[in-house]
Amino acid sequence: MKKVILLAALLTWAPLAAADPGLNLSSYEGKVVVIDFWASWCVPCRRSFPWMNGMHDKYTANGLVIIAVNLDRSADDAAQFLAKYPARFEISYDPTGVLAKKYGVEVMPSSIIIGRNGEMIERHAGFKVKRQDEYEATLRAALNLEQEK
Amino acid sequence: MRTFLAMGILLVCSGCTSMGIEPWERDVLAKDEMQLTTDALEAATDDHIYFSKEASSGGRGFGGGGCGCN
Amino acid sequence: MSRKKEVSISAALAAATCSLLGTGIPTAVDAQEEPTWDFNTSLLYYGEDENRVQEFSLKSIISRMFADDRVLTFGLTIDGLTGATPSGAIPLDTVQTITNASGNSVYTVPAGELPLDEEFKDTRVAITANWQQPVGESSQMNWGFSASKEFDYLHLGLNGRFAKDFNKRNTTVSAGFAISSDENDPIGGTPVGLSSVLDVGDLSNRGGSEDKDIVDFVVGVSQVMTRNLVMQANYSYSNESGYLSNPFKILSVVDGTTGDTVGRVPAPGGGPTHEFLFENRPDDRSRHSVYTQAKYYMNGNVLDASYRYMTDDWEIDSHTVDLRYRWPVGNDKYFEPHLRFYTQTEAEFYRLSITGGAPLPLYASSDYRLGNFDAITAGAKYGWKTRNQNDMSVRVELYQQSGSVPNGQIIGNQAGRDNYPDLNALIVQFSYRFKK
Repeated sequence: MKKVILLAALLTWAPLAAADPGLNLSSYEGKVVVIDFWASWCVPCRRSFPWMNGMHDKYTANGLVIIAVNLDRSADDAAQFLAKYPARFEISYDPTGVLAKKYGVEVMPSSIIIGRNGEMIERHAGFKVKRQDEYEATLRAALNLEQEK
Repeated sequence: MRTFLAMGILLVCSGCTSMGIEPWERDVLAKDEMQLTTDALEAATDDHIYFSKEASSGGRGFGGGGCGCN
Repeated sequence: MSRKKEVSISAALAAATCSLLGTGIPTAVDAQEEPTWDFNTSLLYYGEDENRVQEFSLKSIISRMFADDRVLTFGLTIDGLTGATPSGAIPLDTVQTITNASGNSVYTVPAGELPLDEEFKDTRVAITANWQQPVGESSQMNWGFSASKEFDYLHLGLNGRFAKDFNKRNTTVSAGFAISSDENDPIGGTPVGLSSVLDVGDLSNRGGSEDKDIVDFVVGVSQVMTRNLVMQANYSYSNESGYLSNPFKILSVVDGTTGDTVGRVPAPGGGPTHEFLFENRPDDRSRHSVYTQAKYYMNGNVLDASYRYMTDDWEIDSHTVDLRYRWPVGNDKYFEPHLRFYTQTEAEFYRLSITGGAPLPLYASSDYRLGNFDAITAGAKYGWKTRNQNDMSVRVELYQQSGSVPNGQIIGNQAGRDNYPDLNALIVQFSYRFKK
């Protein structure tokens, strides 16, 4: 039920939020939201989950919210993936790709980072292990934290 | 004649810029058995056998298909 | 402080928090490690009937995966060959004696039999190395090196490939090249083309080693058509130059009326009882190939169909159709029948024999591999996962080549003989692959 509400909430956002600054972000107002699109068959997604867990643990207190939207056609495939790569962040389900299309996903995986003001800050195409520090720096900037040395 | 036909296929395919599927619809194409070269060992073995016994060789390409990730 | 350590502390804190709320402790290890090594090995048996070639081959491809889809791959192949192969001379109703390839002895061919090169044994070792990495956001490149050595042959090569994705990764355009430098150094030396096969010990028509250079280019495009169908098409061009003949292949010199090989008196120390010439191929060959392939997923089964057309400036044209159909059996096994059809037309300079007394052609070869033939491969592969979830497979195939000599080339008594015997071969291959 919570996931249905979550999906509905996400659907009410317009993609490419820069076009409409006055979005209704309901329960996520004031937080930095990362919407990550993933699927069980996507190899880089396996690498991104441990990193997203790390970000979740480190920055939830600072107002970070990670929502990983699963695009598998079958929830069973997602469940098998989650059994091997458990997530401490929120998982949502979009089996027909409606949300993915709305957010203009062009490669798997993709992350959309939405700032505290509800506008999209950045889009990450793919997940490269070597760019984790870069990704984290983007989050810190969005959270208005100073960069780490 | 056949060369032109095949080149035509190449051209048509390269013109298919609007054909294809969404990035999240690659589940089937991500499977091992759907890669263009599923078994590199078998492909290399066959290439060698037929190169030794026939006058043609190679021609196989590479790249593309698959999960399209990253 | 390393990032890894931070995460572990966070995980421990989260675990502590979760246990306070009674929701269970998340696992301390955040994820299964992706495999970093991939070992793929096979043992191959290839055997032709009628005392022809037999080969055992051990092949191994070892890949080491690095972060973000970068891969280093090494390949090693060890082949052991024994057996005999058609020399290119025609069968006769009488016994024939022919000097061997090294020029140091003779072998005898029984009446009515196809002359096969004397028994040979050779071992070949081949190595490859390849580096693959992504380039920018949507491209990939490969660099490779190859080398092989057998007793009388050395190959060295370099290759490179580049591929770029377009159209949301639905279209991939690629280009590649390969260059090779090979050296042929047969025992006794390379014979002068279209010179006679001489008596034992006479190496007056032999030279030293000879080189061959090869350049290949390929361009291709692959296209995702639907969720279940991906296709590719490539064009490739290949040019070889240098010594392209086979130093061991010969042609029979025959009488213009009877079609039988002209007789000769061998030297007291041994020599051929008939007249033979060493073959001679042009010193250049250019090939064009077009290849297309489709992989189609049908409810769990996969059809792999490909077609290749090749044409070259030796006037050889070939068509290859290759079909595989993979049937999954249960969750972790599969059965895959395979059918391949091949046909080629003969090289412009292919001839069954050379007519004595007539002017010599510039180029001539009776190597069955340059002739006019059809070939069929039929077989099946069975694959399964071991208890450790590693892959094993076995495939068994039969390969048959049936050739024919162009009518205009058959003279006199040659008509009654099997000048182009079928080649029948059995192929068996076991493979084992594990990742760690």
